[in-house]
Amino acid sequence: MVRVTSFLLRRLAQSVVIVLLASLIVFCLLRTGPGNPARMIAGGMATEETVEKIATEMGLRSPMLVQYFIYLKKVVLHGDFGTSFVRPKSGASAVAGGRADDPTRAERARVIDLILDRLPLTLQLAMMAMAIALSVSIPIGLFAGLHAGRWPDAAALMLSSVLVSMPNFWLAGILVLVVSIQLHWLPAVGYRDVTYSILPAIVLAIEIIPVLVRSLALSLGAMMSQNFVRIGLIRGLHPSQVIYHHAMKGASVPLLNMLGVQLSALLGGVLVVEYIFDYPGLGALTIEAVLQRDFPLIQAIAMLTSAIFVVINILVDLLAGLIDPRLEY
Amino acid sequence: MPSDILLGVDNLGVAASIGGRSKVVLDNISFAVSRRETFGIIGRSGSGKSVLAKALIGWLDPALSVTGGAVSFDGVDMVGADAAQLRAIRGRRIGYVGADPTTVFDPTIPIGRQIAEKLRAVRPEVGHKEALDRVVELFETVRIPDARLRAGELPSKFSGGMIQRAAIVDAMIGGTELLIADNVTQPLDVTVAAQIIRLFQMLRNEVNTAILFISSSLPMVKNIADRLVVLEEGRVVERSTPERLAAHPETAYSQALIAQIPRIWSREMAHPAVKADAATVLSVQDVKRNYRVRNQRSLFGSVSIQAVRGVSFDVKSGESLGIVGESGCGKSTLLRLLTWLDMPDAGRISFDGVDLGKMSRNDRFHLRARLQLVLQDPYGSIPAHWTVGRIISEPLRLHRSMLASERRTRVTDTMVEVGLDPGLYSKLPVGLSAGQRQRINLARALVLEPAILLLDETLSALDQTEQTRLIALFERLQSARGITYLFISHDLAMVRRVCSRVAVMYLGKIVELVSNEMLFFAPQHPYTKALLSAAPTLEESPYARDDYLVEGEPPSPLLIPAGCSFANRCPQALPVCRQQEPPVHHLPQGGIVACHLAGEDRVT
Ligand code: SF4
Repeated sequence: MVRVTSFLLRRLAQSVVIVLLASLIVFCLLRTGPGNPARMIAGGMATEETVEKIATEMGLRSPMLVQYFIYLKKVVLHGDFGTSFVRPKSGASAVAGGRADDPTRAERARVIDLILDRLPLTLQLAMMAMAIALSVSIPIGLFAGLHAGRWPDAAALMLSSVLVSMPNFWLAGILVLVVSIQLHWLPAVGYRDVTYSILPAIVLAIEIIPVLVRSLALSLGAMMSQNFVRIGLIRGLHPSQVIYHHAMKGASVPLLNMLGVQLSALLGGVLVVEYIFDYPGLGALTIEAVLQRDFPLIQAIAMLTSAIFVVINILVDLLAGLIDPRLEY
Repeated sequence: MPSDILLGVDNLGVAASIGGRSKVVLDNISFAVSRRETFGIIGRSGSGKSVLAKALIGWLDPALSVTGGAVSFDGVDMVGADAAQLRAIRGRRIGYVGADPTTVFDPTIPIGRQIAEKLRAVRPEVGHKEALDRVVELFETVRIPDARLRAGELPSKFSGGMIQRAAIVDAMIGGTELLIADNVTQPLDVTVAAQIIRLFQMLRNEVNTAILFISSSLPMVKNIADRLVVLEEGRVVERSTPERLAAHPETAYSQALIAQIPRIWSREMAHPAVKADAATVLSVQDVKRNYRVRNQRSLFGSVSIQAVRGVSFDVKSGESLGIVGESGCGKSTLLRLLTWLDMPDAGRISFDGVDLGKMSRNDRFHLRARLQLVLQDPYGSIPAHWTVGRIISEPLRLHRSMLASERRTRVTDTMVEVGLDPGLYSKLPVGLSAGQRQRINLARALVLEPAILLLDETLSALDQTEQTRLIALFERLQSARGITYLFISHDLAMVRRVCSRVAVMYLGKIVELVSNEMLFFAPQHPYTKALLSAAPTLEESPYARDDYLVEGEPPSPLLIPAGCSFANRCPQALPVCRQQEPPVHHLPQGGIVACHLAGEDRVT
């Protein structure tokens, strides 16, 4: 187990560096990009001095690296991601503009609460999408891969091409029209219970399915033509042993890698789909935060997503290494 | 005794259908193998012998089909058998071992577990632990060292010879009645191949299995088969016993086949002695090269592979030096160093007295024209979409400025010189034979009029007739142009025919470097003797396998033991050998040998 421990230590060290770098880049970009959060808080009517005063209070006038280290220190030592620039504690978004008499910072919502509030919804959506995608693409991909070059393979390729050419906003529109408005089977927008996750999850899943089907069909097809699989029957193994113990095992590593990539891509897809369905998850929160220049919130979301990416990657490599011990840890 | 016949093949025909047309692959094949008999099938590549092996077990490619005749295994018709009948026989009663053992096993599962899985598939009554114990037991029988440990390792950790042994265990473990061995020694080094032959001899004597031994090499079959057939273009051309075939081949084809088999000792070979005052063109002094690889077992560590561990030799102008050794001996790394694709970590290589390491890039570029490399693979090394003329003239474009017409004359002259039809100048190399391709490679190297040619296994892809022609060509070139050759090869018989001096490499060092006559008639180093004893010839070797063939394989270049690196296999190892690196002795007859036994008067 030296190998696994050493792998985990090395990868965790690497990921800390990656997450820190990513957060530093976001931090700097935010502060050099357009949009002045102090102005947004102070409101369009406030004087230049008021804006400047707010900015100094918010720490926006110190050198950038100093700002970053202060921020990082709070995060690391106290798990404190700061408070939202704009959101009051109640949770509802404070409409920008308005009061120049700035409410004390303590009354604003803590970033961590905002995120923890939304994260479960998004995770639920992502898991559901993944579950749908897997339960559709695994049978199809296996069937296609076991009959590489014959009609099931061709049919799977055709299905994938059709799915891949459907843009998600268009698909979402059609689904809402048919399933919600005409058939009244599922609710469409907002969120009240689990059923609200189903339609957006389907839209997300349909984006991934073609990729997974192709990946599985190709890698299984390639496995089936490997000598150690073909010679299995000659060695005296049962056909099911050959397929389940050897061919599928070999095909699962590329599939796993693809899953990792797709899971990461899913987090991006969530952004659009949540927006379309007005689904109150992390994606929607991100879009609002960007529109409102809510630096602490954007910053924390960026850190969280990069951490999720990194963890997914480590898990994928760890699992792949357990399946195929030849892989270099 | 008809009841004793295990496998009967009767008028078997197989055809390939390519693009709607059908081509005969096997025609009218008949033979019978009795129980406990070892039966040989000899044929060169393309004779249909591998197709025959697969036809016997119902494993033909989809493009091939049986057109007639019958294969019966203990009364079961193998041609018409359905999937269930085949399953009851393949792997259970008939075991099959092919030429490429590295692809037999799932690369992600330890070998022992896979063989145990097979045993339990064919003998469900065997328990899990029992199966694994049986595997370990058989590993010991086929002399896999540290059997229990090796059973737990992945296939990638096995060398070619070891994995072939494991594949043999896999094929036999169900208690098979017939073992089909299709070209099993083909990918192996000579000493390892000889060990596998020895293993088959043991199996033949000790296990109640009939063996069908298929090979392209009569010397391989000679030592084990009771009877054999010769296959040519899908037909049986001769039936005989190994001894009778070797002594009195009846058909013209068999006679040619026998004539092809290289001779080492029984043929006179004259090698023009190198003039004593010839200048040294290439000098290699104590050259070393290590490669670092990441160590999987520690967090940040790396380990070093010692590929070349202090090699020295001089090459005189106009001589032919051979460097022989088995896989992993460092000859490929040495070649990379000599062609400065790679730089040594220590030591120096000088050309015409000038140190390569101190040369400017420009000088080295010019030098490249004087030292040319001809590679092993006649197919991969020739661009398919260039005309032959363009391929050969390319080095001239790079290295010489001359008029197009001059260049063309130079290229066609060279083509004639190496025996290529100048009419090929504007043709593409498609459809050319291996021999013609190798001539293109040679012409490409020769247009620059090099002083030295490095030949890396250049002749090993060619058959004997073509080899003979090319060797004659090399000799002509040498006397006409005074070219110096450096042959890098594993093929002792080829080296015997062309080289004036031969260096034997083992694990990154030269263990013996002597004249041709000395090497083949009075070798000093035990490893040289082992190589000679393993050489596949029909002659009575002066170095009998029982006395000189070594067991085991070289230690890993990662963990080279102290003392002599051959000590773990050497039949004559002394206690001192495991502590002290043997010094290099200069022999009175000329040449060097690195062994504790040499130098003193201990004649062996
Ligand atoms: S030095 Fe010793 S171990 Fe090495 S080859 Fe000579 S006798 Fe054998």
